[in-house]
Amino acid sequence: MQKNKTLLYLILSIVSLALFIGIWYYFTAVLQIVSPKTLPSPVKVFTTFIDKFTNPNPDGATLLVHALSSLKITLTGYLTAIVIGVPLGIAMAWYPKVDLYVRPIFDLLKPIPGVAWVPLMIIMLGIGFASKVTVIFISAIVPVLLNSYSGIKQTRDVHIWVARTFGASDWQMLTRIAIPTSLPYVMTGIRVALGAAWTTIVAAELIASTEGLGFMIQQSRGIYRPDIIIVGMVTIGIIGSVLGLLLMLIESVLVKGRSKV
Amino acid sequence: MIDNTRRSRKHGARAAVISIFVFLLIWQAATTFTSLGILMPSPLISLSAFFKSFIVPIGPYPIFIHIYWSLVRVVPFYIVGAIAGIILGITMGWYKPVAAIFRPIFEILRPIPPIAWIPIAIVWFGIGEGSKWFLIFLAAFMNVTINSFAGARSTDPVLVGCSKMLGASDWQIFTTVVLPGSVPYIFAGLQVALSSSWATIVAAEMIRSSEGVGWIIISSQETNNSVNTLVGVVAIGIVGFILAVIMREVEAVLVKWTKRDI
Amino acid sequence: MDEARHMSKSIIVAQGISKTFTNKRGSTKVIENINLEVRENEFLCLVGPGQCGKTTAVNVLSGLEPASTGTVKINGKTITRPGPDRGFVFQSTALYPWLTVMGNVEYGPKVRGIKKSERREKAQYYINLVGLEGFEHSYPNQLSGGMQQRVGIARAYCNEPVVLFMDQPFGALDAQTRYLMQEEIIRIWETAKRTIVFVTNNIEEAIYLADRIVLLTNTPTQIKKEYKIDFPRPRDYTDPDFLALREEITNEMDKTL
Ligand SMILES: Nc1ncnc2c1ncn2[C@@H]1O[C@H](COP(=O)(O)OP(=O)(O)OP(=O)(O)O)[C@@H](O)[C@H]1O
Ligand SMILES: [Mg+2]
Repeated sequence: MQKNKTLLYLILSIVSLALFIGIWYYFTAVLQIVSPKTLPSPVKVFTTFIDKFTNPNPDGATLLVHALSSLKITLTGYLTAIVIGVPLGIAMAWYPKVDLYVRPIFDLLKPIPGVAWVPLMIIMLGIGFASKVTVIFISAIVPVLLNSYSGIKQTRDVHIWVARTFGASDWQMLTRIAIPTSLPYVMTGIRVALGAAWTTIVAAELIASTEGLGFMIQQSRGIYRPDIIIVGMVTIGIIGSVLGLLLMLIESVLVKGRSKV
Repeated sequence: MIDNTRRSRKHGARAAVISIFVFLLIWQAATTFTSLGILMPSPLISLSAFFKSFIVPIGPYPIFIHIYWSLVRVVPFYIVGAIAGIILGITMGWYKPVAAIFRPIFEILRPIPPIAWIPIAIVWFGIGEGSKWFLIFLAAFMNVTINSFAGARSTDPVLVGCSKMLGASDWQIFTTVVLPGSVPYIFAGLQVALSSSWATIVAAEMIRSSEGVGWIIISSQETNNSVNTLVGVVAIGIVGFILAVIMREVEAVLVKWTKRDI
Repeated sequence: MDEARHMSKSIIVAQGISKTFTNKRGSTKVIENINLEVRENEFLCLVGPGQCGKTTAVNVLSGLEPASTGTVKINGKTITRPGPDRGFVFQSTALYPWLTVMGNVEYGPKVRGIKKSERREKAQYYINLVGLEGFEHSYPNQLSGGMQQRVGIARAYCNEPVVLFMDQPFGALDAQTRYLMQEEIIRIWETAKRTIVFVTNNIEEAIYLADRIVLLTNTPTQIKKEYKIDFPRPRDYTDPDFLALREEITNEMDKTL
C-alpha cells in the first residue's frame, strides 16, 4: 500500500510538470496567442539555451563567459567575507571587549540590503570589479559574522564548566569546545551568505555592468528577447543550486570528519 | 565569559554609543584630512543632509514621501503573497498529493532570486507599478511558502495521535494542530520575506521608477551626489530595521505561548 | 471488595496481539502474542524493563497504532483507529503548547461539537479534580512537569472515555512529585471511576497503584507473569507485604538489555 502511494505521488508529480510545460507550449507555440516578445515557447527557450553556449550575440558574450564573470566576482567577495567574518564573529563572541565595541557597527549594517550599497560603491570605486566585490563582501559578511557569533554564544556553560574542571585553558576551551559546538551555526551563516551574495551580484549587474548574467538579462529586456531572459534566470537558478549543493557536500564532509575523531 | 545580566546590558549600551561614536569620528577624520573626502561625504554632512531631507525635497519629494511610496508598493502585495504562501505551504506540507502536484514546479522556481525576475516582470507587466507588485508578491510568496511547508512537515505526530484519540476529524487536526504548530515557522518566513521584499523593491526602484528610496540612491549616483546616496542608504536601513521590529512585535503579541514567564 | 467495584465485565479483550516494525534496515518484532483482558473499573499496570515495548503495547491496545496480528476489542467492538471512547495520557505530556490549560482540557468535547457552556463546565470540573484551579489561563510552558501531567490527565478524563491509557505519565517527574501524583491518581480514580491501563517501569509505583500487575518480558515482549494485588488502599510503601512483593517482582523482571 505504501509503495503504491509513493508511485502514485511520483506519477502526480510528473503529470503536473508535464502539464505545466504542456500548457506553456500550447499557448505559445500552438495557439500563438501569447506574443513571443512576451513569452517565448519552451522550445524556443531551450534552443536559445543551447545557442547561448556558443553565440555571443546580442549582448556581447556567451552564456559561460557571463556566468564566469558573475561567479568570479561573487566568489571573491564571498570567500573574503568568510575568511574575515568567521574569525571576527568568533572573537566577538569569545572576547567581551571585542563584542562590546564591534557588534554595534554590524547591528547597524544588518538591516541594509546588499543592493543598496551599489550606487555608493559605484561613486567611490566605479562600475568595475572592485565596487561589485565590495558590495558582495558587505552583503555576505553580515550573516557570516552574526551566525558565527551566535554559534559561539550557544556554547553551553556546562561544557565550559566541565572543561574548566579538567583544567583547560581559555584557548583550549575556545578551540576544543566553543568552535566545534558553533560549527552548525557557522555553516548556516555561510549558507545564508551564499544566497545573499548570489542575489546581490545579480542585482548589481542589473543596475550597472557590462558583463555577467544580470547584465545579460537586463540587456535582453531592452531588445525584447525574453527567451534570453528566461535562459538567464534558469542559469542563475542552476548555479545557485549547484553552489548550495557544493556547500552541503563540504558541510557533510566536515561534520563526518569530526564525528570520526 | 558569556553573561547576559542587566548590568552587562547597560554596559553594552554605553559601549555601543562609544563604538558608534568612534566609528563616526574616524570616518569624519578620514574624510576631512585625507583624500577619501573627495569620494565620500563626512558623517556630519551626511547626517545634516539626512535631517534636511525631511524638509528639502530630494527630486520631487522630501524623504518621507519617498519612503511612503516604497512602502505602498511593498505592503499590500507582501500581505497577498504571504497569505498565498501560507495556504500553499501548509497544504503542501500536510497533504502529500498536493505536495506531489506543486512541489516540482515550486522547486524549479525556488532557486531563482526574486531580484532576477525584474527584467521579465517589466516585460510582462510594464515599467509601472504592476511589475513591482508582481515582484513583491513573488518575494513574499516564495519565502513564506518554503517556511510554512517546513512548519507543517514538522508537525508533532504525537499531538496528531492525541487529537485523533480525542475525536478530532482530519480537518480539525489540520486547523487545530498543523496550523498553530506551524506558526513559529510561518513567522520566520514572514520575517525573511519582509527583508527580501524590501531589498527587491529597492532594486526594482533603482532599475525603473521616478520615486521611492531606491530611486533616491540611483538618481543621486547618476548625478554623482554621494551625500544623497548615503542619505538614501540610511533611510533604507532605518525602514528595514523598523519593519523587522514591527514583525517581531506582531509575533510576540500573536504567539504568546512560546514565551516562558516562570 | 471486588463486588463493590463491579469488576465483573471485561472491557478490553486483546487476542494474539503482535507488532512488527518494518523499515529499510529490516523488520523488528516488538510485541509477541499478547493476550489480555481488562475488567471494568480495574486499575491495571503494565510493567516491563526499559525499551521492552511498553509504549508500543499500549499504542496498539488503544488503537493509536494498528496491530500486525491479533485484535483488540473494547466493549465488544473491534478497534482499528484512535477514538474518543478511549483516553490517552502520553509519556511526553503532549499538551498543545498554543492552548491554555482550559483550551487543552476542553479540546476533546470541543472537537466533538459539545456546546461551549456545557464543555466549559465539564472542563472546569476536571481541572478542579486534578487540582489546577486558578491555572485555567496558563500556557503549558508556564507550568511545572507535575502540573503539565495533571493537565494531560484532566484532558483525557474530560472526554469521559470508557478506558484510560497512561503511558509512564510520571516517568519524567522527580521522586517527590511522583509520590504525590501517585496519591493523586488514586484519588482521581476513586472519585471518577474508570478502567485504567497504566504503563510503568517502576515496580513500587505499580504495586502502589494497581489492582493487577501484568509483567512484560524484554523485546519481543510477551506477558511473563500476572500479580493480583489486594492490599487495602491507601497503601503503605513500607508495609512488609508490600516490600516482599516488590522484592519478588524485582527478581522476576528481566534486566534491561
Ligand atoms: N516506529 C518504530 N519503528 C521501528 N522500531 C520501533 C518503532 N517504535 C518503537 N520501536 C522499537 O521498539 C522497541 C520498543 O520501543 P518502545 O518505545 O515501545 O519501548 P518502551 O518500553 O516504551 O521504552 P521506554 O521504557 O523507553 O518507554 C525499541 O527498541 C524501539 O527502538
Ligand atoms: Mg515508552
